[in-house]
Amino acid sequence: MAQIKIDHDKCIACCLCEIVCSMQHTGTINPKRSRIRVFIEGDSFFPVIAGPYTDAECTAKTSVSISGKEYDGCVLCRASCPAKPIFKEPDVDIPLKCDFCGEPPDPQCVEVCLSGALTLVG
Amino acid sequence: MDGWMGQILRINLSDAEYRVEDLDPDLAEDFIGGRGLASQMLFDEVDPRVEPLSPENKVIFAVGPLTGTGVVGAARSMVVTKSPLTSGITSSNLGGHFGPELKFAGYDAIIIEGKSPEPVYLLINDENVEFKPAEHLWGKSTSETEDMIQAEIADSWKARETQIVCIGPAGENLVKFASIIHSGRAFGRSGAGAVMGFKNLKAIAVRGTKGITIADVDSFKEAAADFLENKIKGSFFTEVRPALGTWYLVPMFKGAGMLPVRNYQAGIFEGVDKIDEKVMQSEILIGKKSCFACPCADTRLTKVTDPRFQGEGEGPEYESWGKLGPDCGVNDIAAITKASYICNEMGMDTISMGGTIACAMELYEKGFLPKEDTGYQLNFGNAKALVELVEKTGLRQGFGDILAEGSYWLAEKYGHPEISMVVKRQEFPAIHPQGSQLMGLAYATSNRGACHTKASVSLDKRFEVAGQATRLKQMQDYIAVIDASGLCWSVMMRPPLMIEEVSTFLRYATGADYTDETMMLVGERIWNLERVFNLKAGLTAQDDSLPKRILEESVLTGEAEGQVIQLDKMLPEYYEARGWDKSGAPTSQKLAELGLS
Repeated sequence: MAQIKIDHDKCIACCLCEIVCSMQHTGTINPKRSRIRVFIEGDSFFPVIAGPYTDAECTAKTSVSISGKEYDGCVLCRASCPAKPIFKEPDVDIPLKCDFCGEPPDPQCVEVCLSGALTLVG
Repeated sequence: MDGWMGQILRINLSDAEYRVEDLDPDLAEDFIGGRGLASQMLFDEVDPRVEPLSPENKVIFAVGPLTGTGVVGAARSMVVTKSPLTSGITSSNLGGHFGPELKFAGYDAIIIEGKSPEPVYLLINDENVEFKPAEHLWGKSTSETEDMIQAEIADSWKARETQIVCIGPAGENLVKFASIIHSGRAFGRSGAGAVMGFKNLKAIAVRGTKGITIADVDSFKEAAADFLENKIKGSFFTEVRPALGTWYLVPMFKGAGMLPVRNYQAGIFEGVDKIDEKVMQSEILIGKKSCFACPCADTRLTKVTDPRFQGEGEGPEYESWGKLGPDCGVNDIAAITKASYICNEMGMDTISMGGTIACAMELYEKGFLPKEDTGYQLNFGNAKALVELVEKTGLRQGFGDILAEGSYWLAEKYGHPEISMVVKRQEFPAIHPQGSQLMGLAYATSNRGACHTKASVSLDKRFEVAGQATRLKQMQDYIAVIDASGLCWSVMMRPPLMIEEVSTFLRYATGADYTDETMMLVGERIWNLERVFNLKAGLTAQDDSLPKRILEESVLTGEAEGQVIQLDKMLPEYYEARGWDKSGAPTSQKLAELGLS
């Protein structure tokens, strides 16, 4: 199964992935409709790829420790849920999910990522 | 419309009212956007003779049809106003994420008019525009302001998508070179922050959910991908810039002996090895960051652990380094970085700040400026004085109140205007003009005063005089197009000029039938419009000049030894190349040709 490997240490927050993803799926440039989003947490940048929608939020919050820093688990989570209204069409609330840009997988975000943060494996 | 969003947001601060207007498609095509469109609007709506700090002056933020589209570097927005520093028109450019977000909210420009009776900020969410009280933000630093505004947005997910530009204490205190700051980046030059401060406008926060449409999506995607693959990937932009940012210029100008040293009294700085790009990498660099749609990762995320000057933030970049470092004779990386942080937090232009302190230092060393006025033994190299005076300038405390007027008024006040290294009262950037005839001419003729973004220095043929006028004219027109389109100077000025690539992007994005020629004509139109504004504002050919030091005293050594800028030879050629008369005014024939009469 194809996987996109994310190395957040390499991400530079250029957001080219958001731009090409929205162009691929909507024909316009609109990061709010992208299936990948880059979250900026101080000087760390986290690309997150849209996973499945869940209609219930978690019953407990998690926090994640990376290189000695604490991050809100919700930021890193791939799901769209009532507590995380990201990965939804802005006007109509329909959830968005990454489809690897079709079959065979040809993810445009990986194509455009020159920093090496996104790679296609498997 | 494609490329353009088709809407202008007009804000009247006096009445706390706003309205949305349609963008005139013909006007958009004639001026493209960004610097072009905003300059046209200022020209059309503001009498060039108004006081820069008055309710009649306007501040116009504008993006271009390529801003946010994904062309590498197309993250740029511009602010245009009448400058309190130069008394002429100015445009200042910003990267980061603000410009694209403004487009996603549906606007090509925001026109700010009038003056609010109380401090306010604007909160824009697509078509929802709110005037929010900002009394509690007044006096806060720029990073505090951004954090506090984000904390006031109820939905934290929307808050993190909101992009903010704001002023700091320097803008509030009407420092003549106050900037407008966005997450450690700046609309840096010419004092647009003071105009915002005068208007009691602390910040603009914007978030949008609209998409940018492209006229010919398939061709555009192909051209953008091709540009990324063939011009960017594996090039200087991905191999050098992420490692060094703009500090790649340090070894370049060090080698050419054209650093800005001690108020341009020299071009070689003996202390440079203590503060150069290697020291930046080993001593202060903790990360790097990109603007929207750019893989260059130019922004230096830095930290100073030295207990004298502790701090953390963004920058400095090359210009800030050159002006707060060598120009002030300071060879202390911690002090330079700290001074740059304070400029960002106060919302002040690092270039004019460094240049003004350097001017004060020369006045002091020559005995023209007494110690009782400065409060410091203000010799070149006094790192402590540098850092403290930057803060005092932002707050207009003590001697800082005089520095806040800029080096021109400082030098004038102490009877030695020749010591101020300015053009049109704006301080030189961190490139010694005697190292390049082209740069000398570019400083002298720039519409916003001395400027590092109106020409690109190439080290070959730098001492040639013949042909520089026509070369510069083409560069100035091309740069006006870059600034109008939303592209990045830094990416697009890598020689040779990428005229064909830019016109192709504009054509595919907007559907307008730009050719290389019609596009360059837009650049020329913008340049001439700015020129006419300045002439009406009272500037003359006498303002197309350089300080005596640069014209008469050769101060550089090495390869550049003996060089002075031969403005008397180049300027008449330049006026001729521009189709201007001997007094530097565009002829009626030229204006008609450009559709400006």
